[in-house]
Amino acid sequence: MRQYELMVILDPEIDERTVAPSLDKFLGVIATGGGTVDKVDIWGKRRLAFEIAKNSEGIYAVVNLTATPELAQELDRQLGLNESVLRTKLIRPDAH
Amino acid sequence: MAKRESRKPIIKKKANPLKAVKLEGPIDYKDTVLLRKFISDRGKIRARRVTGVNVQQQREIARAVKNAREMALLPYSSSAR
Repeated sequence: MRQYELMVILDPEIDERTVAPSLDKFLGVIATGGGTVDKVDIWGKRRLAFEIAKNSEGIYAVVNLTATPELAQELDRQLGLNESVLRTKLIRPDAH
Repeated sequence: MAKRESRKPIIKKKANPLKAVKLEGPIDYKDTVLLRKFISDRGKIRARRVTGVNVQQQREIARAVKNAREMALLPYSSSAR
C-alpha cells in the first residue's frame, strides 16, 4: 500500500454541487479494492493558466489516498475515460 | 605603484530565498505563490544564479514548476511581448 495524491481538473460546465458525489463515485473503486481515501479537498472553480479543451476555467480537486499501485493506476485510467475530467495527475508525495 | 590585491570580482553571495520562507518538507507543486517567485514574467524557470538556491532545491523547484504547468496552475509561456 502506498500514499498517493491525485489532482483532478473537472469540466467547469458541471454543477459544483454534483462534484463531491461524482468524485465519490470514482473513488468507490478504491474502497472496493481495499484502499482508503484519506482526504478530499475540493478547491472549486479556478482559472486555468492556459486553455484545456477550450475551457478557460476548471474545477480542481485534490484527493489523498492509500492504495496499491494497481488500484491507483486503475482509478487514474477510469478518470481519464470520463468526459467531464479534463486532466488528472497522480503523484506519490513521499517519493520525492 | 600599489598592486591590486585580487583581480577576482567580488561576488556577493545571495541570500537563499527559500530560507526566508520557512519551508518544511519538499517543495509542493500546488504552492503556486511560492513557485511564482522562481519563474520570470514570461513563465520561464529562473536560473540558479538568479534565484540563489542550492542545486537540490533548484531541481525540486524545476520539477514542481513542471508539474504545476501540466495541471495549468502555472503557464508554459506568457504571450507577453
